[in-house]
Amino acid sequence: MNHTLSILLQNEAGALVRVAGLFAARGYNIDTLTVAATHDPAVSRLTLSLQCDEAALGQILQQTRKLVDVLQVAHPAAALAA
Amino acid sequence: MNAQALKAETTTDRHPLAGQSMSGAEVIVQVLADEGVGVLFGYSGGAILPVYDAVFRHNAEHPRADGGEAMPLVVPANEQGAGFMAAGYARASGKVGVAIVTSGPGATNMVTPVRDSMADSIPLVVICGQVGTAAIGSDAFQEAPVSNIMGACAKHVFLVTDASQLEATVRTAFTLARSGRPGPVVVDVPKDVQNATLAWHGSGELLLAGYRARLRAVEQSALGDADCAAFFAALMRAERPLIYAGGGVIAAGASAALRAFVDAFGLPVTTTLMGLGGFDSTDPLALHLLGMHGTAYANYAVDDCDFVLALGARFDDRVAGVPDRFAPRAKFIAQVDIDPAEIGKVKAVDWHHVGPLVRALERLTAWGRAHGHQPRLAAWHAHVAKLKRVHAMNYDRASALIQPYAVIEAINRHTRGNAIVSTGVGQHQMWAAQYFDFRAPRHWLTSGSMGTMGFGLPAAIGAQFAHRDKLVIDIDGDASIRMNLGELETVTTYELPVKVVVLNNVGDGMVRQWQKLYFKGRFAASDKSLHRKDFVRAAQADGFAWAQRLERNEELEATVAAFLAYPGPAFLEVMIDPDAGVYPMVGPGASYAQMITGDFIPSRAAPAAPGDSPSHMF
Repeated sequence: MNHTLSILLQNEAGALVRVAGLFAARGYNIDTLTVAATHDPAVSRLTLSLQCDEAALGQILQQTRKLVDVLQVAHPAAALAA
Repeated sequence: MNAQALKAETTTDRHPLAGQSMSGAEVIVQVLADEGVGVLFGYSGGAILPVYDAVFRHNAEHPRADGGEAMPLVVPANEQGAGFMAAGYARASGKVGVAIVTSGPGATNMVTPVRDSMADSIPLVVICGQVGTAAIGSDAFQEAPVSNIMGACAKHVFLVTDASQLEATVRTAFTLARSGRPGPVVVDVPKDVQNATLAWHGSGELLLAGYRARLRAVEQSALGDADCAAFFAALMRAERPLIYAGGGVIAAGASAALRAFVDAFGLPVTTTLMGLGGFDSTDPLALHLLGMHGTAYANYAVDDCDFVLALGARFDDRVAGVPDRFAPRAKFIAQVDIDPAEIGKVKAVDWHHVGPLVRALERLTAWGRAHGHQPRLAAWHAHVAKLKRVHAMNYDRASALIQPYAVIEAINRHTRGNAIVSTGVGQHQMWAAQYFDFRAPRHWLTSGSMGTMGFGLPAAIGAQFAHRDKLVIDIDGDASIRMNLGELETVTTYELPVKVVVLNNVGDGMVRQWQKLYFKGRFAASDKSLHRKDFVRAAQADGFAWAQRLERNEELEATVAAFLAYPGPAFLEVMIDPDAGVYPMVGPGASYAQMITGDFIPSRAAPAAPGDSPSHMF
């Protein structure tokens, strides 16, 4: 199933690489990826989409939350459905 | 003194050096000193020279009362050695291990210990020199993309591009390394940042709002009455409950809390490789190691239990090779971990708590006692005692060849769980895990998850720096020790009384065991019988005054006694039965019920004959 995640990220050296690297290292394929500035220049918003089942999604959300630069991970579709 | 004045005094509790001008290198060393770092491990090089010079000057200006250096810099033969020394120090002491290396090859040689420490949740701070900021990305001499490389294997990596952030960054690295689930943190510092002129603040850390908010939530989470009630409702329904304790028990310092919980409710305990020492293995309720090479009685108990309490353990593939068939009769699985991502990662659980283990265990113990819960487990205890008696560890005690198990047992008769034991990786590691007694945490140093050959010797060196008066023994294999054999000279250079045992079976024994079982005995590249290596002479060449080879069974007891009694560094090579195997063994893809117990441990079911189907697990 297709999922879109929204990640708020501190604008640190290598932060984007760490997010992309985490997904690759844990065997997830990122289909689309957009990085945008936010009103706070120290924070970027990363929007990515991927195909995976619910269990795998839960695990990658938890793993993403372990990245030190990550401020927030949201799965807007799941939040709307809930 | 009135309260107002007291408050004013504490808010002006300034660092004595606050406001002082320092170089970036001096800032790094001052943070290390403030963090109470007692020893540094590292190898010098161009891009880290300013920091090495600052360490030298710090030690010259701050001699200890006994004349020793405040922060001695221990130099290995190879940076990987420094990383494993820092890891051994951290594992044995519970403190953050610190390594300092140069850019490029210095940093890339550090990748293995960093990944190893990440996989085993060991707190490290690694400072890497980097080429100057202006040269980054230019393929400069000794340049490597350290933040990219380390970012994939460390808990976190900082590339310090803004010198004004250096002090807060290094201080934050310590907080990150030791907080939550511990791990290695790398700070990559360009040479110009080391040479920058900075004003020392003496306090302050990076904000890291996301990490700190998540950490606070985990640290403050507590078990409510409903959680405790649900836990005990399930426990009181269980007839055969079992605790499965992992490395988290050691990392959390929770062995006393676990002991109190077991004293209160009587659950038997089996430990993972990383959990050894978390519960006294000589206790009647201790089932010792579980998993691929766990004791038969522990694995049978897992098969028989109807309730599992997983404490700081993550159902990894060496324990739950086939997750669906792990603890197949368990009607209820409970899990406590500090890391939310570990809950249900491998196996779905019925009850969980994410939070500090000591507090969780204390809360459950108090709640269960207050509500008068006393599981009636006499029949289960009798069953466990019978499993331990009938399926006890055993081997060919009549063999004319020296059996590796007998060597461990002989050493254990002297140490009784009081020595710090490190290992390499392979058969000798499993024999040590199976045949030593483990009575207290932080006495067992092994590369559990990464399985890094060459870990044992440098880890023992680091541990000896953490505990100068303790007996530290590296149980190694002939193949594993080769990987960091250069560190023999580090043992003698620093006059460390480390004891090194090489169980020599002339090859990669564990690989041979798998080749025997799964590759029809085609020993591709695992046979070392043509090697001309003389380990005893190698040890002597590196200054070991006591270095002997043991080849006769009847000399085992006396030689081990003399070896352990020697006051200085000692090296003992033991020529063991090259066909000795590690049993029991739960083959890849097999369930515990299909465990092979070998010729000397009674099995309770005839195991399925191993085919030669290639494994996907190794």
